[in-house]
Amino acid sequence: MSTVIEVSGLSKRFGKVVALDNVSFSVGQNKICGLLGRNGAGKTTLMQLLTGQQFATSGTIEIFGRSPVETASVLERICFIKESQTYPEDFCVKHVFASAPWFFGGWDAGFADQLIDDFRIPTNRRVKKLSRGQLSAVGVVVGLASRAPLTFFDEPYLGLDAVARQTFYDRLLEDYAEHPRTVILSTHLIDEVSNLLEHVIVLDQGRVIIDGAADDVRSSATTVVGPRDAVDAFVGDRAALSRQGVGGLASVTIHALTSDERHAAGDAGLELSPVSLQQLIIHRTNSSSREFEQSA
Amino acid sequence: MTIDARATRPATTGALTRIVNVARLHLTQKGTLLVLPWLILGFIFLVNLLIWWILASALPPADRFDAEEGMQFSGASMFIFVYMLVVAVQAINATFPFALGYGVTRRDFYLGSSLTFVLLSLYYALGMTLLAELERATGGWGLGGAMFDVVFFDAGTPLQRFALFLLAFLFFFFVGAATAAVYVRWRSRGMLVFFAALALITVGLAWLATDTGSWPLIGGWFTENGALGVAIWSLVPSTAAAIAGLVLIRGATPRT
Amino acid sequence: MDAMRPIFIQIAQRIENDILSGALLEETQVPSTNEFAGFYRINPATAGKGVNLLVDAGILYKKRGIGMFVADGALARIRANRREQFRDEFVRPLLAEAAGLGISRAQLADMILSDTNKEEGVA
Repeated sequence: MSTVIEVSGLSKRFGKVVALDNVSFSVGQNKICGLLGRNGAGKTTLMQLLTGQQFATSGTIEIFGRSPVETASVLERICFIKESQTYPEDFCVKHVFASAPWFFGGWDAGFADQLIDDFRIPTNRRVKKLSRGQLSAVGVVVGLASRAPLTFFDEPYLGLDAVARQTFYDRLLEDYAEHPRTVILSTHLIDEVSNLLEHVIVLDQGRVIIDGAADDVRSSATTVVGPRDAVDAFVGDRAALSRQGVGGLASVTIHALTSDERHAAGDAGLELSPVSLQQLIIHRTNSSSREFEQSA
Repeated sequence: MTIDARATRPATTGALTRIVNVARLHLTQKGTLLVLPWLILGFIFLVNLLIWWILASALPPADRFDAEEGMQFSGASMFIFVYMLVVAVQAINATFPFALGYGVTRRDFYLGSSLTFVLLSLYYALGMTLLAELERATGGWGLGGAMFDVVFFDAGTPLQRFALFLLAFLFFFFVGAATAAVYVRWRSRGMLVFFAALALITVGLAWLATDTGSWPLIGGWFTENGALGVAIWSLVPSTAAAIAGLVLIRGATPRT
Repeated sequence: MDAMRPIFIQIAQRIENDILSGALLEETQVPSTNEFAGFYRINPATAGKGVNLLVDAGILYKKRGIGMFVADGALARIRANRREQFRDEFVRPLLAEAAGLGISRAQLADMILSDTNKEEGVA
């Protein structure tokens, strides 16, 4: 399996602000990869660098084996849908869907029409006059119908209600199954997309804190709940991602347990509950920011 | 069946196709690019028409001749040329982030925009030439008025007139393109610096000209070359502006 | 979907459940990986992992050019596996819960034997 994105030592500064700090990772071909993290973690900056829209301060980026900056053969195989896309003044929705095929060789007009129906986008209206949700829908349709070998979705559903979001996820999965391609999905609505992902990259304050297969990341932690003493005894000196307690009860999140350890917990009268991807990332980003504070 | 992930081969669409597609993108905005300038010109024309009509009906025949002569120097249609500067800035500024979003390189975007400006120059030059001929044929719209057939544009044959208009439009379009590149790259601060520098240089040159008593020389150069000659010389700054714009835009990023 | 076990394992178990309940019969075709992915709203690669798990366990097999089928004897195999796990999954928790409530083993046995729900066919 070949690598589509190869990033090494990438850093980006805006004046004094460090948006990305020594980021390195790679993304394999035809995977749905989640780029997750809090607002301001650097997700959008990273995608702007990957698509050649911004210039790196240092480090290297290789997309399809070459730098994306000003390289037409790379850029024509990329579709970048961002939530803040600006459109020219006079543009109507129908102009967007008429001009997109010129730039995306794999554009499927039939699929686009079906999606326009699904999302109920008014084609004759000016883009400037669309609601936030309709604007997002336009972006989503372009991203899906372009069938670009590498597609970036940067928080593509601002303003989309839950039904429309689910429609997006469903269409994405369906089309990805029929026409595999590499998809990078950036969002802070982690639990909604968790099951769609094959690869997970988590950014926090410009750094990569998690980078791995989604299945592995999802099952990498467990929460132990029960009487405080029993929990503490069981947890021992294992690293704790989070500790919570109320009265005599304690709840500690630790790394995954083997099945023997699970039996032991059960025997000790402790309850084990799963840790969702969102919870895991929250715990990890909180602990990493605490670490930063301590080291500062 | 695995898709070849390497992009070592050149792009599947040729460079020319990409550049033409950018022009198509610009020209989707028919209202702003193809219609609005004519509407503005039309409005100015109507105002002038009104003035000519007033003059024609109010003045005795003898004075009318003087008035007509004066109108030979009307600068009314100058506006449309300078307006192309605005059109260029708007076109580039509005379409740049959108084109980048479509995966267009900055170079292809600028070349496509340049192509658009050349096409627009041809379009407007043709229109202006026709209007000038019409004005001549109708003897100043039947009122002795002059807007298109003014002395500044007196270049001889209709073909020469067309060339004059074309070169003038190209000049303003590409100066506009360069200005737009400054804005897209450095935003408001860049514009401030750019215009401040421009003002300083202009004042500086003017002072120099006065100091060395060169104004007669400069005036003489203009009359010697005539309108068309000056226009042909304008290709030099036009080309310089075009190149400057390309160099500048390569370092521009969409507004964060 | 509970997150306790990896998703691909949950998928495998759901398919096994369907075979156990008779919803999927032996030597019949099962939905494709993509169809599973769409139905459960998960990544096709994850669905594929779950299906492969069952192929490795001899529950499903692939007919070239057609699709995935339930293997002959899959039902028996699943039952045998589940019986192995029955003690850990159900009996131990049951005993622990009973102990916590102060129910003796004898009382527990009594509850089981006198339960009025119809006894399902024993295989």
